[in-house]
Amino acid sequence: MKKFNRDDYIEQLATGKMSRRQFNKVLASAGITTVMLPVFSGPVNAAASDHPNVFTWEGWDANEHHGEYFEKYGEYPNFSIFGDEEEAFAKIKAGAQFDVTHPCSYKVEIWRDAGIIQPIDTSRLKYWDSVIPSLKNIPGMMANGDNYFVAADWGLTSVLYRPDLVDEQYQEDETWGILWDERYSGRLSMSDSLIDGVMVAAIYGGAADPFNMTDAEVEVTRELLRKQLPLLRYYWTSPTDLENSMAAGELVATSSWNDAFTALKAAGVNVKYMNPKEGAMTWVCGFCLMTDADPAKLDKSYEVIDAFLAPESGAFSILEEGYGHSNIDAYGLVDEATLADRGLSRDPEALLSAGIFQVPIGNEAALQSMFEEVKAGL
Amino acid sequence: MPSAASEQSLVSRFQLRFRRSEAMRGYTLLSPTLTIVLLGLLFPLMILVTLSFWKQEYVDLIQTFTLTNYADFFRKKIYYLILYRSIRISLLVMLVTVLLAYPLAYFIAFHVKRNKMIWIILVTIPFWTSYLLRVFSWKVILGYNGVINSGLMSLGIIAEPLEFLLYNPIAVVITLAHAWAAVAILPIYVSLEKIDRSLIEASRDLGESAFMTFIRVTLPLSLPGVIAASLLVFIPTVGDYVTPSLVGGTRGIMIGNIIQSMFGKALNWPLGAALSIISMITVTLVVCLLLGATQLFRKKVA
Repeated sequence: MKKFNRDDYIEQLATGKMSRRQFNKVLASAGITTVMLPVFSGPVNAAASDHPNVFTWEGWDANEHHGEYFEKYGEYPNFSIFGDEEEAFAKIKAGAQFDVTHPCSYKVEIWRDAGIIQPIDTSRLKYWDSVIPSLKNIPGMMANGDNYFVAADWGLTSVLYRPDLVDEQYQEDETWGILWDERYSGRLSMSDSLIDGVMVAAIYGGAADPFNMTDAEVEVTRELLRKQLPLLRYYWTSPTDLENSMAAGELVATSSWNDAFTALKAAGVNVKYMNPKEGAMTWVCGFCLMTDADPAKLDKSYEVIDAFLAPESGAFSILEEGYGHSNIDAYGLVDEATLADRGLSRDPEALLSAGIFQVPIGNEAALQSMFEEVKAGL
Repeated sequence: MPSAASEQSLVSRFQLRFRRSEAMRGYTLLSPTLTIVLLGLLFPLMILVTLSFWKQEYVDLIQTFTLTNYADFFRKKIYYLILYRSIRISLLVMLVTVLLAYPLAYFIAFHVKRNKMIWIILVTIPFWTSYLLRVFSWKVILGYNGVINSGLMSLGIIAEPLEFLLYNPIAVVITLAHAWAAVAILPIYVSLEKIDRSLIEASRDLGESAFMTFIRVTLPLSLPGVIAASLLVFIPTVGDYVTPSLVGGTRGIMIGNIIQSMFGKALNWPLGAALSIISMITVTLVVCLLLGATQLFRKKVA
């Protein structure tokens, strides 16, 4: 039998010497190979299924956050990525199986009420003792004496702006009001979400408790959002879009997380991150164990969390992503000047308590439909 | 062995029946397709219908029959307003696409003599990349630092980038019209290609002008293709949510975005299901209206 030679076949094909029957034979063998590939390569992939399924934000799957896990097993956990917690929630409710997820603290209560997360035994985490005390005791994370959340990273929601393109007064008088300044009509943006968008309007409107507004305060917020709509270029959903628009000068000010600030600064764009007089928002995200987590992978799931809590992983957060970390030892690996440059501090508790801490939103459904109505121009 | 014998006769009876009954043979031939249609279309649709009569309370689905979701559609202005807006945008997309597709299809059918296949393959080239990439490329073309803006600026025609190009309903129409162009061109081309050329010659011989020949002969005969193209463009674009969310900005949202938000951010699957059903019914009605209108047109012209 003639040995298979790819170049021969290509040659025959190109010169038109290949018979139809021969050609069909090649096609058939290629087809069979394609179909059988997943069947025969099954055992090779089996190793990957020993690792927990981790559902997290884009970027948090970076190798640097899972170094300790890799050192031990020589492989990384299986990652899936979500864009926001609502999307994650919808997928989990629709039946997707995960062992570990990475929501923010204000979502933990609704996730627990929905029965999708289970208690975490923090005594099994070797870095639990190094977690910043106030992050261990976020209200609402405990229920019936059980802990449901391990804080991992924290950051701010504030105004990111181009000092070279807006009035100098804003450098003296930092305010959320820049997002309502008609002089910059068409060059402003806001987050397309309740927690980082609608809450901004609530804070600017002076709601006593933005996360639990009275009906009158909701109306003030609605009016502000209506007033803002024609001034916005778009509601942002992707930080990448935001960074491109800010760099191009298409946008001059927007609500944003720390990461866009760090990334744009590293790229040499003239940007500043506000500490608004009405207060910046602070948030904490971390890990939850899922109810339908695979019991056989439980030990490894705890190790995934531990690897993320490691000081080296925290230093990577601070240096490369501009986010704070929950492990107090991470700050020892970064020098003072870099911390200040990132808008972070060695005393994160002071920073966290100075801001408006994001907690679950009361009457989320009504606010969401109010936001949809504003976006529809009503 | 009576049982074996009866079994035998059962099998042969079945075979006999199978050979005789044309319908039976038809269904057997169809059965793989039929299974897929049942499992892949009818079953999910039934779930959607059921879901639309339930109710969401916080994180729980209340599984008792209720019409609240449908009542919400009529009670709150937002839903029918957005549905109306989506249909308007889709009709505009349909009009633009078909108007742009017709001349090209006409050219290929009547004026390209050689290598027609190459022309047709060229038409399908946009379809070689994914839908999402096509939308993204329009973002690059229309964007603030995009192809059009930087081109016009380097020519010195404008000093500042034009901001009205992207993030509005017009950008949605442009993007969709391009994304669905091939779907419109091909059926129109086929129906033009099929027209008997002697009819056109006869019309010219009998003294009709070129324009009137087009109106009274070519256009009516190519209508089936135009209708197919219109429907193929209109139906899928009503529910599109990728394009409006990427290039629509604050004013370009469509019913697909609302439905997506119901299944995601707003966490109200039953209302999302009800909105899907209502928009399906509305699309059906609009399609019926379109078909009726073309029937009328055909009768008038012919």
